[in-house]
Amino acid sequence: MNTASFQETLDFAIGRERAAVEFYRELTGKAAFAAQKSALAEFMAMEEGHVAMLTGMKSRGAVNLSPGAAVDLGLARRLAAEEEPTAAMDFQDILVAAIKKEERSGDLYRSLVAAALDPDVKAIFERLEAEESRHKRYFEELYETQVARDN
Amino acid sequence: MDIKDFIAPFAVWKRAFEKPFTVKKPIDERPGAPRYRGFHINDADKCVGCGTCEAICMNRAIDLVPVEGRDAKEGDSGLRPRVDYGRCCWCALCVDICPSGSLNMSNEYVWIDSDPDVFRYTPGVEPKPWDGSALGYRRAEGYRLLDGTRVPMPELDHHEAVKSFLELVRGWSREQAEKEADRCVSCGLCIASCPAHMEIPGYIKAVRDGDLETGLRLLYQTNPFPEACGRICTHRCEEACSIGTDGDPVAIRWLKRYIADQVELADYSKALPRKEASSGKRVAIVGAGPGGLSAAYYLALLGHEVTVHEKDEAAGGMLRYGIPEYRLPYPALDKDIGYIESLGVKIERGAPVGEGRSLASLRERFDAVFLSTGLPAAYGLDVPGEKHPRVLDGVAVLAAATRGQVLGLGARVAVVGGGNVAMDAARTALRNGASVDILYRRREEDMPADPDEIREAKAEGARLVEKAIPLEVKDAGGKARFVWNEATMVQKEAGKRPVPEPIPGAIHEEIYDSVISAIGQGPELSYIAEADGVEIRRFKPVVDRDGLATAAGKAPVFAGGDLVNDRKDAISAIADGHRAASAIDRLLSGKGA
Repeated sequence: MNTASFQETLDFAIGRERAAVEFYRELTGKAAFAAQKSALAEFMAMEEGHVAMLTGMKSRGAVNLSPGAAVDLGLARRLAAEEEPTAAMDFQDILVAAIKKEERSGDLYRSLVAAALDPDVKAIFERLEAEESRHKRYFEELYETQVARDN
Repeated sequence: MDIKDFIAPFAVWKRAFEKPFTVKKPIDERPGAPRYRGFHINDADKCVGCGTCEAICMNRAIDLVPVEGRDAKEGDSGLRPRVDYGRCCWCALCVDICPSGSLNMSNEYVWIDSDPDVFRYTPGVEPKPWDGSALGYRRAEGYRLLDGTRVPMPELDHHEAVKSFLELVRGWSREQAEKEADRCVSCGLCIASCPAHMEIPGYIKAVRDGDLETGLRLLYQTNPFPEACGRICTHRCEEACSIGTDGDPVAIRWLKRYIADQVELADYSKALPRKEASSGKRVAIVGAGPGGLSAAYYLALLGHEVTVHEKDEAAGGMLRYGIPEYRLPYPALDKDIGYIESLGVKIERGAPVGEGRSLASLRERFDAVFLSTGLPAAYGLDVPGEKHPRVLDGVAVLAAATRGQVLGLGARVAVVGGGNVAMDAARTALRNGASVDILYRRREEDMPADPDEIREAKAEGARLVEKAIPLEVKDAGGKARFVWNEATMVQKEAGKRPVPEPIPGAIHEEIYDSVISAIGQGPELSYIAEADGVEIRRFKPVVDRDGLATAAGKAPVFAGGDLVNDRKDAISAIADGHRAASAIDRLLSGKGA
């Protein structure tokens, strides 16, 4: 794989994570009380961590991500279609937004894997897709234990 | 002296060359009889370290001792019996009484050692040749010193019960309660498993002795809601009960209820401690549920002036608005609350904290604040169509029933969820004449509801539909067409619980007059502002072990109950309230938090 395409691929992924940071920043702008802001700040910090991680990989010239995808709990597929959280958003609304966002990212990387011609680029996208599946799984578990406790 | 006397001593010499009569070890093995009472054997995994063997041993030959690699846990003290054969008389009472049946005796009776200390050992922990012996003394089949069967609780017949909101469980007579109390061996394993660490063996003994004032005093040491908890407690204590290891656990919850039911409110003050002289300190409590009022009781007792701010028109929180009266009649709850108020606790009803009455203002006006606002907000189904007008929130349905409002649920009702709110909503719908389906995403054994509640809901006629994953709610001429996907349980990861996996094409749908959502509940936290300095993580105030959320700025803020803990039951909220009250008292009296 040439250096240019490696850099481009990582730049793309970093751009996605930065967009995720912005996603939470935007939601924070809508938040009306401390509990909402705290949850959003935590999730935003996680995305900032991902930006830092990918930036580090880019500068080291190697993608150090596990290729193993997380087990799919199948929750994201069943959750109601997108609905923008409002100022009254509760933890369920925030988690659903996070799960759907991770699901979209996973879908995107999956399509990029399918479209990639360069096997090295393909391998990177596969690892990024797996990484997104782990993020989604993290939020799905939170949803299962904190929200849908009785279901 | 004759000649025989002279010769006789020499005659014994001939015996010197014969087989001796005493030997170091029997040359001829003489096994004990099959039911001989020989050295003890103990199945250390089955044993729960209750100490009943120790208590019954008249020679004090048994001590419960810690053993390596076995820690205390719920329902197991982690201790195991050590037998001293210098004291043991082999009567086998320890075997006869052992609740779990773990302690037995081998038929081995020969054990030779020059070190006397070895004759004290811990069966089942220190290996011995007779471990696993199939012979020896066992409790005879059907013979028990302990009664393994619970005294039946009179209950309304389920077909009758479902016709009204009359209390289902009728309570025991004195004779029945004393008989049940007689089953307790006072091992105390229950105390550790009770979140409030109630003095359970003590109050059961009080029932046995007919001393109900002592019983009431012991109840109130750690729980000012005996009427409520005597009916609806999650009774984890009974899961830990040593009698339950091989029989029905002692009905601790019903015995608590018996005590509270028997003592008139007017007589409570004779049994219970008086409040201390006024401390001059004022404490605000937000939420008049079990957590808030528990804190209020103990703070008032310690001489603090307590004001409780309650958003609803009546006190009790989820005990009143979340639990139907057939499980917890309002007069019983009112009795608990009435005694708390009799100590001077002021409950401001219909007084939510938020705009106009901010947390910040409470922190200025009071010396400490305790937050116990619970989980009043129902989470939605989160499927397409969840906003359909016939999709109702389970918590709101139960609250409306408490308020005596017409529910208008219709003839066919679906309840989605497997927790206690779902069961209560289902049974409330049944009492309103509906036929009810309870749809749960996993299996019955995975349901978080109290097994008694599940059993009773089914007995009253609710149909349980397991492995039903909600997919969508569609309109059906004003009614709700509920669509779900049948699932199969798949063990996707080792060590984790199985996941419901939709079966492709197994889509079902039914038309209901109402679909009640009861998948979970969350807090209402809009009244806590960033400026209040209360750290919140994932919609829960972060507290230390005393329940302290912040001591910075004005009055310290404590929090507890469902708002904070993960156990989500009344007794845990009560325990949190008590703990916070003690910490607030230490802080206000200058003894340190």
